[in-house]
Amino acid sequence: MYVKVNHLGALSRAVRNVSRRKMRAFLVIIALGFSMAIMISIPAGIMSNQEATQSLSENYNNTISEMQEEINKTSTLIEISASRQGMFFGTPSGMPSFGSQQGEAFINETVVDEIRTIESVKDIVPFLTESSAETTSETINTPRGSFTMSRPVYTITGVCLNSIFIGEYSILPANTTITDGRNLREGDSGVLIMSLNLSEYYSYSVGDKVMVYGKYFTVVGIYDSTARTVYMNITDAQTVTGNTGNVSRLDVYAKDTSYVDDIAEVIEAAYPELYVTTYEDRLERLASTQEMYETTLATAESTLSQTQTVAFQEILIAIVATSLIVLFMMLYTVRERTKEIGILKAIGFSNWNVMSQFMLEGILLSLMAGVVGAVIGIVGAPVISSLLLPSANLFSTQQGGSSGFSRQTINFGTALSQSVTATADLQTLLLGFGAVVLLGAIGSLYPAWRASRTSPMEALRYE
Amino acid sequence: MSDVVLKTENLEKVYTLGKRKINALSDVNLQVNRGDFISIMGPSGSGKTTLLNMLGCLDKPTNGKVILGGVDVTKVSEKSLYKFRKYKIGFMFQTFNLLPYLSAIENVELPMEGTKKSKSERRKRAHELLEIVGLSAREEHKPLRLSAGEQQRVAIARALANNPAMLLADEPTGNLDVKTMFEIVRLLGKLNVTQRTTIVMVTHDGHVASRAGRILFLSDGKLLKRERKGTHLLKGDLACPNCRKPIQPDHMFCPNCGKKL
Repeated sequence: MYVKVNHLGALSRAVRNVSRRKMRAFLVIIALGFSMAIMISIPAGIMSNQEATQSLSENYNNTISEMQEEINKTSTLIEISASRQGMFFGTPSGMPSFGSQQGEAFINETVVDEIRTIESVKDIVPFLTESSAETTSETINTPRGSFTMSRPVYTITGVCLNSIFIGEYSILPANTTITDGRNLREGDSGVLIMSLNLSEYYSYSVGDKVMVYGKYFTVVGIYDSTARTVYMNITDAQTVTGNTGNVSRLDVYAKDTSYVDDIAEVIEAAYPELYVTTYEDRLERLASTQEMYETTLATAESTLSQTQTVAFQEILIAIVATSLIVLFMMLYTVRERTKEIGILKAIGFSNWNVMSQFMLEGILLSLMAGVVGAVIGIVGAPVISSLLLPSANLFSTQQGGSSGFSRQTINFGTALSQSVTATADLQTLLLGFGAVVLLGAIGSLYPAWRASRTSPMEALRYE
Repeated sequence: MSDVVLKTENLEKVYTLGKRKINALSDVNLQVNRGDFISIMGPSGSGKTTLLNMLGCLDKPTNGKVILGGVDVTKVSEKSLYKFRKYKIGFMFQTFNLLPYLSAIENVELPMEGTKKSKSERRKRAHELLEIVGLSAREEHKPLRLSAGEQQRVAIARALANNPAMLLADEPTGNLDVKTMFEIVRLLGKLNVTQRTTIVMVTHDGHVASRAGRILFLSDGKLLKRERKGTHLLKGDLACPNCRKPIQPDHMFCPNCGKKL
C-alpha cells in the first residue's frame, strides 16, 4: 500500500480553513504580529542603547586621552584667568559646560608686563574671549531629564598673532584643519577665520565680509570644527568688544618645568584675585573629570543592564504569549473540528495526515502573522521599544559640538542631543520571523498531536 | 481468490460504565461474501452501529476476530489501521459527514489523497463516481447547496473512491424523506448489481432493510439465527415479494401488482 502526505491538498484545506474563520484568523494574526513586533523591536532598542553607551564610553575615553596628551604637552604652562569658568580646560564631548560663557572677567594688560619681570618666565601668551550678544536655545537630554539652555551663537577668540606663539604654542587651529582659505598669520588685521559649523550656520565663505560687533571683518579661512568660534587678532578683538587693554586669559610658559611651582606661587601672592592653574592642577582636574565620566558611564551601564533584564523578561513574555495564543487557538480549533477529524480518519487519513493538517494551519497563521509582525516591527519599532523600555531614551547620544579638548577654544559645551532610534535590521527581522513561525509550529504541535490521537469513533459522535 | 470479503468470529464488545458492564455485542459470527448486499436490522441500542464500527475498523472488539481480506484487523496497530479504512472500506453515514468547505468533487477526491493516483487521475475518478451517482451537474457545489439526498449521493461516491472491498452504510436513509430514502436504497442496489459493490447496511427501517439481498437481525448485541431474503436479489433475479413477478432494481412500485416495493 502506497501512502504519502499530500501536502498540496492539506495546504489548500489549511488555507480554506484559515480563511473561513476570518475574524478569528485576523485577531490571531494581529496578536501574533504584535508579539513578533515586540520580539524584534526590543532587541533593536537594546542594540541602539548599547551603541549609544558604547559611543558615550568611546567619546569619554577619547576626550580623557586627548586631555591627558594636551596636559602632558603643556607641563611648563601656567594658566592665569580672571574667572574660574574662563579657565575651564575645554569641555569634552558629551559633557555640557553649563554657563561657561557667562560673566567673563578680564585681566588688565599691565599684569603681563609685571609677570614678565618674574625670572624663569619664558613667554606670556594673552587671549581675549568674548561671546556674541546673539543667543540660541538648545534642548539637552541627560539621564536626569531634558532641559533647555540659552547659549551665545558664537565666541570671539582674540589671539596674539606672533609668529613664535603661532609656531610654538598652537594658539590657532592646526593648519591641517583648514578646509578653505588660510589660517591667520602674523600681521593680520581686519580678518578672521571661523569654524566650519559657524560658516554653515551663517552660510559664510572665504572672502565674505562679516559684521562682528558692528565692524566688518573679512573671512580668510574656515577650519573644520563643530565649535562656533571665530579667531582674530587680539587687538581687533579688544577694539570691537570694547575691551582695549584687557585680556581674558594669560598662558605663562616657564623656561623649565622645575620653575612652574615657584612662578605660580609668586603670581598667586601678587594677584590673589586671579586664578592660577598649573600642570598639577590640571592633572587633578583631569582626575576629577575622569571620575565624573566614570560615574556617568557606570550609571549608563547600570541602566542598560536593567533595561536588558526588562527586555529579556518582555521577550520571554512575548515568546510565551505567542506559543499560548497559537496553543489555545489551535486547541479550540481542534475541539471545534473534532467531527471533521473523525470523518478524515474514517475515510482513511492516517494520524500523521491529520497531524500535519493542523500543524500546517498553525504554521500558516504564524507565517501571515510574521509578515504583519514585520510590518508592525519596521514601522513601530521606535515607538514599541520606547514604550516597553522606558529607560531607552534616557541616554541620548550626545554629540560633542566642539573639538572636545582644545585650549584655544573656549568651549561652548555643545551637547547636541540626538534621540536613540531603534530600528529593526534585516537580521533581527528574519530572526523574529523565524521565531514566530517556530513558536507557531511549537504551539500547534500539541493540539495537532491531540487531533491525530482522537479516536475516529468518538470523534464521529461529537456534535 | 476467495469470495469471502469479511468474516467475524465470536465478536464481543463490552463497555464498562462504572462498575456496570454492558455487552454491546456478544458472539457475533458473520460472513460477508463478494457482491453481498446485507442489511442488518435491529431496534435502537441493539448494537448495529457498534458492529458496523468493528467491521469498519473504527473500533476494536473486546474479544473475537474481524478478518478483512485475510487479515485479523483486531491485531493490527491503531497506527496502521488507517490503511484498511482507506483501501478496504468505504463508509457512509446517516448525517453524510461531508466536509462543508469542500465542493462535491473535492469531497469525493479526499480519500484518494495520498494514494498513487495523480491529481488528474483523482479528478477523473471523482467525475466518474459523481456520474454514477447522478450528480455530474453539481460537482462544484458545496454540501450546503445540495439537498439531503444529493449529499448522501456524494457520500456514496466518496465511499467508493478507492474502490473498496466493501461499503459500510450506517443508517444511510435516517436523515432522508421517504422518496429520497428509496432513491438512495435503489442507488445502493444498482451499485450492488452493476458495480458488484459489496454492501453492509445497518438500519432500523424494515422497508429499507428489505431492499437488501440478505436481512440479518440484531437484538441485544446478538445476531439472530433467523435470516430473511430481501426483495433485492443478485444477478437480475429480482422479483416482487408480493406477486413474485420480475421487477427492475429502480422500480419503486411493482409494475405487475402495483404494490409498493
